[in-house]
Amino acid sequence: MSSDLGKISDALTKGNVDELKEVVQQALDNDAVPADLLNKGLLPGMEAVGQKWKNGEMFMPEVLRCAKAMSGAMDILRPRLAKEDLGSAGKMVIGTVSGDLHDIGKDLAAMMFEGAGYEVVNIGIDQPNEKFVEAAKEHKPTLLGMSALLTTTMPRMGEVINSLKEAGIRDQMAVIIGGAPVTQEFAEEIGADIYAPNAGSAVDLAREYFESKA
Amino acid sequence: MKINQTINKSPQFRVLSEDQIEQIYFSALEVMERTGGVVYHEGALELFKNSDALVEGNRVRIPITMVEEALKSYPRKITLKGRNGKRSLFLEKDMVSFGTGSDLPFTLDMNTGERRNTTYKDVSDASKLVDALSNFDFHMSHGIVTDAPNPQTYDRHQFMAMLENCTKPMVVTSVDGEGLEDLWKMGCLIQGGEHEFRLNPMFVVYIEPISPLKNDSTAVEKLLFAAEKRIPAMYTPCPSSGATAPATIAGMLVQSLAETLLAIVMCHLKNPGMPLIMGGVTTLLDMRKSTYSYGAPELSLASAANTDISKWLNLIMFSTGGCTDAKILDEQAASEQMMNLFYSYLSGANLIHDVGYIDHGTTASLESLVLNQEMIGMVKQFGKGINTDDEHLALDLIEKQGPGGEYVTTDHTFKYWKEWFMPQLQDRSDYETWVKNGSKTMGQRLKERTQHLLDTYQPEPLDEKLRKELKKICEDADKRHM
Repeated sequence: MSSDLGKISDALTKGNVDELKEVVQQALDNDAVPADLLNKGLLPGMEAVGQKWKNGEMFMPEVLRCAKAMSGAMDILRPRLAKEDLGSAGKMVIGTVSGDLHDIGKDLAAMMFEGAGYEVVNIGIDQPNEKFVEAAKEHKPTLLGMSALLTTTMPRMGEVINSLKEAGIRDQMAVIIGGAPVTQEFAEEIGADIYAPNAGSAVDLAREYFESKA
Repeated sequence: MKINQTINKSPQFRVLSEDQIEQIYFSALEVMERTGGVVYHEGALELFKNSDALVEGNRVRIPITMVEEALKSYPRKITLKGRNGKRSLFLEKDMVSFGTGSDLPFTLDMNTGERRNTTYKDVSDASKLVDALSNFDFHMSHGIVTDAPNPQTYDRHQFMAMLENCTKPMVVTSVDGEGLEDLWKMGCLIQGGEHEFRLNPMFVVYIEPISPLKNDSTAVEKLLFAAEKRIPAMYTPCPSSGATAPATIAGMLVQSLAETLLAIVMCHLKNPGMPLIMGGVTTLLDMRKSTYSYGAPELSLASAANTDISKWLNLIMFSTGGCTDAKILDEQAASEQMMNLFYSYLSGANLIHDVGYIDHGTTASLESLVLNQEMIGMVKQFGKGINTDDEHLALDLIEKQGPGGEYVTTDHTFKYWKEWFMPQLQDRSDYETWVKNGSKTMGQRLKERTQHLLDTYQPEPLDEKLRKELKKICEDADKRHM
């Protein structure tokens, strides 16, 4: 068991997508406890990656490769896990607001959340306000993420939050926003819960937020 | 398969056309025959008298045939080996290296921010940094040791401070011929003998004439000693356009070249084939402040042109960059240093010196060296040019990722992003992250980095026996000059 965890953490921190899938599958075939694979193998591995990223010892392409590996492993593991096993690794709906066709920042954030164990539903770019509400109703995420790169599309984020309120589901999720022109002040003004100045820090900021609420 | 293809492995840059270089060279030859130069050294005058040159008092006029004959005898390549035992500095056409300047009387104290006299400790610290900083290929003293027992022997102590803390090849300065002899003996001790030093010289000696067209006895004494022992040397004119040279860059280049050519003939008469390097700190006299400018754009332009000339003459070039007139390491310093660093690099000069100078060549700054480490990294990145083979054109990848795709997670990105320049001190974070990390300015980051290097970097120590022998040369010199 502990050697399985070692292999998992090793394949994960190396960002080896196929190898990680293989060792996770093997461990499950050998009757490993799925929650242990997540909590003692994958999550500590990603935490180490996150730490190196923060310290400037790992770089975006490397981190995202690890995130991709994590995401692949979670696809295998998720059906075997009970809801309470998932802990902080919740579910996220993310998209770029109406009128905005920029997606790299939002996609990077999505990948980072997948890397942290989240199940991410990426609804894409140029999404009308009602699409966010529909997706929130359908997927029941713990976190809803919105991004805007244009000052002209920024107001849409406030409108989405209002629509969530009107639908009576605003309290069921935290809202995280980001994008180059967005600021902490703006986030507070429109009633978002978390503001992330860049894709790389979003996961950490979300974790801090949930910990403060727990 | 395509034919008639030209691929630029690196960017291409030159200031002068071949016809312009010939104009300047032929003009310098005209100066040699018509104007000549003055030489205040009996031995050298004797050499000229026994040649086809015309000597009248101290004035020497030199026939073109002598110049062109002498020009043929200089090496197109010199390789230096530092005390680290690595033949690391290959001086040949378009091979660029960076190093400090020397002998700055003042130091901008890192801790107090005050300008004060430079000490042995300052030269030691600068030497340590140069050893630690990967973009510095050779070392000059940066500061001048003003607290030596005797100003007449400071050069040996200065060399000692450099040797104790830096293992890279060096460019040294000496008080006079006797000083140079001591430095050369120290160099021979390190390399293992005279012949070893000749094959693997560990330093080049810096010597300069006095513009316009004047050669003082100490400079000539050093130059002739270097010629005799075949010590690599540069004879570097430092004309100030508008004061000690014509106010036109072309005129300054003609005169500067004539000053070099006179040394070329003189060394050839002394000992044909000595490794002489062409030099030049070609800049202007500021007409408002009457200072010799190290930050003027004209310095960059004239220096790059001078390098064009050196390549045409098949001579190795000692040029200037990474220096400024700013009194402290501020916005002026960064902009001026970056400009002359960039163009000296593009010009393909072989030894780019004075990197880190502030206050128009009078003040030393340790943080300035660390700043230049970063800036040299940037200019070298530019020099890498653009690879346009199929793998780099990435057509298959563009097709695969398609419109609206992303490249961050592709193997191609994973492989090639590592070729990018990775800043060590420049801040590219977003505003909030920058604030979170203390809202530090570049100046603050430089100070921290410099202090960290001084606290943690350990240069490879000198062998104890060798150290004693070197020290003895310094002490003997002190005794002789008591």
